[in-house]
Amino acid sequence: MMKSKVWHLLISIMVLSLLITACGGAAATEAPAAPAEPAQPAAAPTDEPAAPAPTEAAPAAPITIGASLPLTGRFSEPGTAAKQGYETWAAIVNENGGLLGRPVELYIVDNASDQDTAVADYEKLITVDKVDLVVGPFSSFLVIPTSEVAARYGYAFVEPAGGAPDVFNRGLTNIFFAQPAPGSQQAIPFTDFLLALPDDQKPKTFAVVSQDDPFTLGVMDGVKEALTAGGMELVFDEIYAPETTDFSSIAIQVADLDPDLIVGGTQLEDSIGQIRAYQEAGYQPRIAFFTTGPSLPVPFKEGLGSATEGVFAAISWFPQAEEYQNADMVAKYLEMFGGNESDIPEDVANAFTVGQVLQQAVENIGSVDNAALIEELHKGPFQTVVGPLSFNELGQPQGSFMLLQWQGDSFAIVGPGDRKRSDPIVPKPEW
Amino acid sequence: MHLPSWNVLIQVTIIGLLTGGVYALMASGLTLIFGVMRVINVAHGAFLIFSAYISYWMFTTYGLDPFLSIIVSVPVLFTLGVLFQRYVLSRVKGDPGLGVLLTFAMALTLEGVMGSLWESTGRSIRTSYTSKVIPVVLSPDLTLRLPWVRVGGLVAAAIALAAIYLLLQKTNLGRAIRATIQNRSAAQLMGVNVESVQALTFGLGLATVAGGGALFSLIWTFNSGSHEEWISKMLSIIVLGGMSSLPGTFIAALIMGVTESVSAVVMTSYLSPIVFYLILFLVLIFRPQGLFGTRIREG
Repeated sequence: MMKSKVWHLLISIMVLSLLITACGGAAATEAPAAPAEPAQPAAAPTDEPAAPAPTEAAPAAPITIGASLPLTGRFSEPGTAAKQGYETWAAIVNENGGLLGRPVELYIVDNASDQDTAVADYEKLITVDKVDLVVGPFSSFLVIPTSEVAARYGYAFVEPAGGAPDVFNRGLTNIFFAQPAPGSQQAIPFTDFLLALPDDQKPKTFAVVSQDDPFTLGVMDGVKEALTAGGMELVFDEIYAPETTDFSSIAIQVADLDPDLIVGGTQLEDSIGQIRAYQEAGYQPRIAFFTTGPSLPVPFKEGLGSATEGVFAAISWFPQAEEYQNADMVAKYLEMFGGNESDIPEDVANAFTVGQVLQQAVENIGSVDNAALIEELHKGPFQTVVGPLSFNELGQPQGSFMLLQWQGDSFAIVGPGDRKRSDPIVPKPEW
Repeated sequence: MHLPSWNVLIQVTIIGLLTGGVYALMASGLTLIFGVMRVINVAHGAFLIFSAYISYWMFTTYGLDPFLSIIVSVPVLFTLGVLFQRYVLSRVKGDPGLGVLLTFAMALTLEGVMGSLWESTGRSIRTSYTSKVIPVVLSPDLTLRLPWVRVGGLVAAAIALAAIYLLLQKTNLGRAIRATIQNRSAAQLMGVNVESVQALTFGLGLATVAGGGALFSLIWTFNSGSHEEWISKMLSIIVLGGMSSLPGTFIAALIMGVTESVSAVVMTSYLSPIVFYLILFLVLIFRPQGLFGTRIREG
């Protein structure tokens, strides 16, 4: 009796799910035709394909742009910010007459920070939803596998946050990393700053504590190379699993060695975890640098309070920057998502940059033909909220990060060169 | 393998013991629930994170200290536990496999609910005593730095575990629970209302995890997906302890706390979880019932 009920339930669930997938498939085939195939005309503004003819001047078929983002899971914070950046860009484009006279429509799906899901998502966006263009997910971890999918279908892959060496060393020509410099170079303004310090302020010893993630490890490799070449001694070098939450053992060891400088290869939670553990272990470095974390002002401050003072990080953008469309973007973002100007995450701007680059390249060639687009993207430069951007043949951007330091309730830009707004504080106050 | 100094070893051992105490409170409910119901509550980690969120919410909204937020989270989780056992789990009592599946479904549901309520950003609570330590001078060159939150955590865990122990030993409900753990059919024959005992035990198990969640929120950062990692940790603890033994859970939790933190400095933090599992495998080879477990004779 019991068994047969269970069977009925199972069978009805299967039938239901079949129905749902069937409906989904049917709906999806109504999406715009594949741009990779010659069937889709390279839509010049005048050349309208046979859309179901409404009465008045036919509204142009939208240009569809697909992305799979980590909206949940360990990259949810930056992933959500990237989604907002894409949406802000699309809103501004659509208010100003669209792209090539056609409205922009975003297809954004959640990959739960999972590589396999992200790959399947892009596969589906391209082959089932048949989007015209795709843009990248957040972080090298997801960019590396998904860019392969885009490459297989000949799609240009402008992406906001994948700058690890492994993104660029696979012989792909369709990747364009829309930040001022590859992630591995993120810490260069910081190491340059250290090496230029007078000898009595220059750290003699340093420790590197990094999450096992291609982005952070890439940055850490650059730091280790530059600082050891500059005569500083690496006294402690530790890599921990991404899910690590407890840093007491690491901190006690670091405190025992007491290096002058601590460099953390972190996302957000672990930057908070590390600093709290150093406080508990009584470790007071003279200089501290963390990759991501300090550049996400709200949660970083919430987790650490006054311990943020003097912490360095690198950033590619900040809300007050006087770059192309930056003020528009900030205003639009606040209108759409609320909050304060100073709370807008950097990842919003990186995703917005992706949109700007794509928009200018599409307008230059007058179509959404991905092969022509890839060729155009290699030309540049494009005007963006992070400054003028061009790419080399590997898709690496040609520019530099800014160096930030927490001073008071937020961070200040302390380098490099002409972009500096405040003087750096060295040594940093105790945390 | 690097050889850390004695100072470092002593420090990390103490931290490991303190952390183990908190683990013990977190895992004790899982032991109770398994003992009485013979169901592994896979949702235990999710309930842990859920109660951490309650503490986070009470702290950010009303400024209530996490130690005090248990006034809210314990009754809430107790009620949730009783209802879940009474109206969901008890429907599949004949099939423990289906029970595990149900608790797994519960874990996924809770994860979704928490994700939509609090987003999946990493959360942490920063009180006035976060990162503050009690210095204990052992010798001129060795000062132990005991973090307030972990010392508080251990004390709170000890009080809660003692309360559960007294409840089990001294009250009629406790006797009924222990009787049900030992032999459900016999308990039923002796007039124990096994259904109620099971519902109350599930509630009690979740009430302990509410306490654990409050401590958790003070010490670690968490997001709605954190439970997956913590349920595996808690399961390993109760397996080593002997599945339904409360003292076993306590000892196993301390072993886990200490091996984790000591092996992180002797080897690397990446390899440290392996050491605990090696101990677990060795114990299971020679004592399949775990440290304090009794061999189960299913009739």
